[in-house]
Amino acid sequence: MTREEITAAITDALGTVLEREVPEATEETRLFDELHLDSTSVLELLMALEDATGIEVDPEDIDMDDFATVGTLASYLESRGPARSAAEHA
Amino acid sequence: MSGAATSTAALKEALVGDREAEFVWLCNFEAEHEWAQGFPGLPAAQGAAAAPVVQRMEQLGSLLSDPGDHLLLGAPLDPGHRRHLEEAGLTPAQEILVDGADTARAVLGSPSVLRRLRELADRGAHLMPMGMSRSIAEIAAATGLKPAAPDAATARRVNSKIYSRAVVDELGLRAVPGRSCTTADGLRSALLSDTAEDPPVIVKDAYGVSGKGLLVVDSRKRAEGLVRMVERRAARTGDPAVHVVVERFLPKRFDLNYQFTIDRAGRTRLDFVKQALTSGGVHQGHLVPAGLSCAHIEEIGRAAELLGGRLHADGFFGAVGVDALLGEDGLLYPVLEINARLNMSSYQSRVMERFHRPGSMALAKHYTLRPRRPVGFAELTEALDGLAVPPADGRGALIACFGTLNAHGPEQGGSARPAEGRLYTVLFAPDGGRLAELDRRFAERLGRLTDQEAAR
Repeated sequence: MTREEITAAITDALGTVLEREVPEATEETRLFDELHLDSTSVLELLMALEDATGIEVDPEDIDMDDFATVGTLASYLESRGPARSAAEHA
Repeated sequence: MSGAATSTAALKEALVGDREAEFVWLCNFEAEHEWAQGFPGLPAAQGAAAAPVVQRMEQLGSLLSDPGDHLLLGAPLDPGHRRHLEEAGLTPAQEILVDGADTARAVLGSPSVLRRLRELADRGAHLMPMGMSRSIAEIAAATGLKPAAPDAATARRVNSKIYSRAVVDELGLRAVPGRSCTTADGLRSALLSDTAEDPPVIVKDAYGVSGKGLLVVDSRKRAEGLVRMVERRAARTGDPAVHVVVERFLPKRFDLNYQFTIDRAGRTRLDFVKQALTSGGVHQGHLVPAGLSCAHIEEIGRAAELLGGRLHADGFFGAVGVDALLGEDGLLYPVLEINARLNMSSYQSRVMERFHRPGSMALAKHYTLRPRRPVGFAELTEALDGLAVPPADGRGALIACFGTLNAHGPEQGGSARPAEGRLYTVLFAPDGGRLAELDRRFAERLGRLTDQEAAR
């Protein structure tokens, strides 16, 4: 997946978790401060992202700093290597 | 004895047998994190330090304490807020201040505070925690203060949601359909086997705090994703433990919270029943009266009696808050979880008893604000323009906790986006319509304050 695709997947997943559209989100958008994501929603967000990108992310491996902005989360997902097809998980 | 002190006096009598006992309060909200250690639940991100707002919530203890008591705090009560409470006839205890992000640990690290507490212990004072924990036990051991609570191991045992489910089954109370899990295999079975509840289900940590450690699983795909994640953790760590309950997501009329107190002899007294306002499993506030039928109140009374006996048999005494639910079908589910500690609603006891009038309504809630810089109490009351005056005749509003509004300190103005603070209040009005109007005006005026701040 390209950086743009990952960022789009994050925006989509945020929309699902927050139950509202987040068209205003950019790489600089702060997840907790601006979108009001809370720690309760982090697990749900990671699961939605795994569904969308096939990138396995275990919450215990990720630092809260990686959740600072859409961009830092995208960088973290990129660092996890190329997205795998969802079929591999089935 | 003034009416205002009755609930605290009754609590003291139940806990230590003396209505006028001298208490040192430490409202240690971090107790639940300590209880959770060694009981892994849902996968959770690391590095989420306890927010300063949570530490400041310890100031809620000022609502329960008697003037002759003592309150251990990480930051002083705002003098304006203290006057506000005094004017309302709720003079708080004397403050004993420590410096540190964890008040209990900071007490243990302060020779001067430990010395002061030893002096109080010599006078026979008791240590009153929100919930008994190892840190509290260490303070008691280091100072000689007698704990007004059972031991930490007992407190931990009875505060697990797995314990709650077991007790409900044993007592024959109406249980939310579901099961408890302690291993990854158990979770797989609870979510994906032929006998699993159909989605949506809610998965909750055995030791989850206020909406944390809670996941709504609304599809089989999501259930499979969660099981995969938990099994990956088990493979990585070599430990298959996962302590959660999996329960059917019940359609509801509303949530409930009630409290009973078990005295040292095992006698149980129902203290109150409130409607609990929640959003996504996160506590938002309480409404009084709860809006229940007499039959439902009686059913809660019977449940409290049974639960009290059971908890006492397991060595517990003290205040017990229970979250419950009135289903859409009118069936009462008397136990979603047992919180054998002071609850958010506990802190309102004296306020309710002093200001709530039969036939009128009360709403305890917090407003979330992002002040650009610390807001003084005078500035707050000016913005509220007469709304925050001590209630009279069942009308008015009390600021219940102010320190949580500025918990992040002066640096909150340094970033582009101010940090979040909370203002805890209790609102009173003659009926639901006027209560909603008061709530709306409160929110509007507080919002205006934030806008003014943002514009500066």
